[in-house]
Amino acid sequence: MKNVIEWIKNEWNSYSKNMRIALAVLFGLVALFGIFAIQILFWGLGYTDMNNNFAMGIWIIGDLGLVALGGGAFFTGFFLYILRVDKLEPLINSTVLLGFMCYLFTFILLVFDIGQPLRAWFGYSYPNWGPGLMPQSMLTEVVWCLTFYFLVLCVELIPIPLKHKIVDKIPFFHYFGHYLHKLMWIMAAVGTFLSFFHQGSLGGGMWGVLYAKPGWFRPHYFFLAIVAATAGGTSFMMLIPKIAGRIMKKEVAPKESFMTLARISGVMFVFYLIFRGYDLYSLFNTYAPLADRSYADILGGYYGWWVVIGELLLCLVPIVIFNVKKLREQEKLHFAGLVSGVAAISLSKVEAVLHGFSVPNFSWKGFTAYNPTVQEWFIFLGSLACMTLIYMAFARFFPLFPHLEKGGHGEGEATA
Amino acid sequence: MSGHVAPKKKVSDMKRLWGMAIDLDKCTGCGACQVACSQENNMPIFDDDSDLPKRVVFLDLMKVTNDNDRDAKFGDVKVAYLPKMCMQCAGNDPDDPQPPCVSVCPVVATDVGDDGVVSQIWSRCIGCRYCQASCPYEARVFNWWKPRYEGSFKEGLNPDVSIASRGTVVKCTFCSHIWKRERDRLIAKGVTDINAVQYTPACVAACPTGAMVFGDLKDPQSPVYEEKLKRDPRAVRLVHSIDALRDTNPAEYERRTKIKNYPNPKVWYLTSDQWLREKLSGFKKS
Repeated sequence: MKNVIEWIKNEWNSYSKNMRIALAVLFGLVALFGIFAIQILFWGLGYTDMNNNFAMGIWIIGDLGLVALGGGAFFTGFFLYILRVDKLEPLINSTVLLGFMCYLFTFILLVFDIGQPLRAWFGYSYPNWGPGLMPQSMLTEVVWCLTFYFLVLCVELIPIPLKHKIVDKIPFFHYFGHYLHKLMWIMAAVGTFLSFFHQGSLGGGMWGVLYAKPGWFRPHYFFLAIVAATAGGTSFMMLIPKIAGRIMKKEVAPKESFMTLARISGVMFVFYLIFRGYDLYSLFNTYAPLADRSYADILGGYYGWWVVIGELLLCLVPIVIFNVKKLREQEKLHFAGLVSGVAAISLSKVEAVLHGFSVPNFSWKGFTAYNPTVQEWFIFLGSLACMTLIYMAFARFFPLFPHLEKGGHGEGEATA
Repeated sequence: MSGHVAPKKKVSDMKRLWGMAIDLDKCTGCGACQVACSQENNMPIFDDDSDLPKRVVFLDLMKVTNDNDRDAKFGDVKVAYLPKMCMQCAGNDPDDPQPPCVSVCPVVATDVGDDGVVSQIWSRCIGCRYCQASCPYEARVFNWWKPRYEGSFKEGLNPDVSIASRGTVVKCTFCSHIWKRERDRLIAKGVTDINAVQYTPACVAACPTGAMVFGDLKDPQSPVYEEKLKRDPRAVRLVHSIDALRDTNPAEYERRTKIKNYPNPKVWYLTSDQWLREKLSGFKKS
């Protein structure tokens, strides 16, 4: 015990002042997460600002955002293991870890969000499977697909800690990790298959099938969410290692890895913008009139026009930067493209959830608003803090960036 | 050649299709229906029930006013009160008619019976509130807090209705427990035909002006015979403006039903006020 305390002390003292402040903030958020988690789990959702009109809030936005951004893991894995784009290899460990954490915390936030967390397993025992092979409820599909894909991510993640120099010396773990790694292309294929479904169902299909709700109903929404995940997810999978590299002042992956993924992300953002344009066009011309609304009515309120315009403008940034070689090779512009891309997809999820609930159901009612309570904020931010700490721990103790091992840790080769 | 071909779908013996009609010209907004509903269905009572969006009621009495409410002079302000409960939607997809809320439930906690009533199993519900998101009538409510009954209210709870736990979605079921009670009563007398049983939900029984009527939508003798309601110029369904197209523009009506599955509610409102009909049916400005 004494040794452990001593080790923690030494570890803490080895960090810079800024890092210690950041860690203190993160641990503080995690502590608040714990306190409010107890309050919500034991005394219920009355402490949130959700209500019978605004039935879902910031945690569902978090779920949608995490799954869409974590979806970059399946897309990157698909390019690396199936299409054999080997340049992405240095980023894959970080990608798998990010995907794993995004999905893990999606489950955690979902547990907070349901009114009866102890009945969470009902999704497996009483699934709304419907009469055919396809699940009837989009949420049933989400629960099962997320679970399977999370298991795939677990298998993909295990070889990373097994490569730790101490663990790797044990022959069993060495060979176990090695053969798991050999299976990775199968995992990538299964993951791609599964992820296509739940990206669509959670991100868009879940809302698009609500046929009586004019803010949401459009059948193509399922496919739009898949494209959103491939575009925003790949940006996210570059953004986090980039930030890690800046903090560590090391080149965590070769520049060409980032450039390859940036090109993929740029092309996907073009597809996303075109699809989103069609989505808005059909909303204005087909689905809003079906519910006797004009597009001005549909996109009014607190989360309407400004969110959509903001999303479209943010989309343009990665499109311009990632598709022009000169621009994407400039470090600052590349970073701006990543931040904008991630923000654009996150904003689209804000629009999907908040705006959908905000649209009035009756002609004598106006748009409604939602203001998360302190419990909702800290559970949401605490989850992000947990994810950040896990990522930092992996970067510190496990071979998250194989490029560092190969290149002698690249001391002083800051990418910034 | 005689042969028996097994039916593809289970054929129900049920002939009933329960529905309701509410004459808003007769409604005084007294709220007796809401009180009766809350008492019948064991709605929780809190010290402070002023948090309206979180309040748990199956039947909500909504106030509807005309558009120019703010600037209207005395005499021009028009007000109507709207008893609004679950509309027991049927859906109109001919291949798979489903209310908007039933198909979305991930754990089959809600279903539509062959009497047309949309049920909810409190003890199966995980509280995901996806059904609340799907409902265009804001008819489903969530138990945000643990249900409480102050003072002697606990002694007056209805033993036929189970009390839902905190964190579950609940809804109006047209007081289907009363129907079950009536069936049991008739079975005890030797009547086994399910279609011989009639019943009246608590809200309808409590209405002092007779504004609310309840019955079988398929029965020509019923006060809510659907074919008659469809032809009634006073009849309108809540946020369901497609009904107006059926006679005026059949082609557009057909086109729209193919694009979208309309909820097809089983509760009809009756009023002679044009402004109110337009307000209720949709978003067209009067």
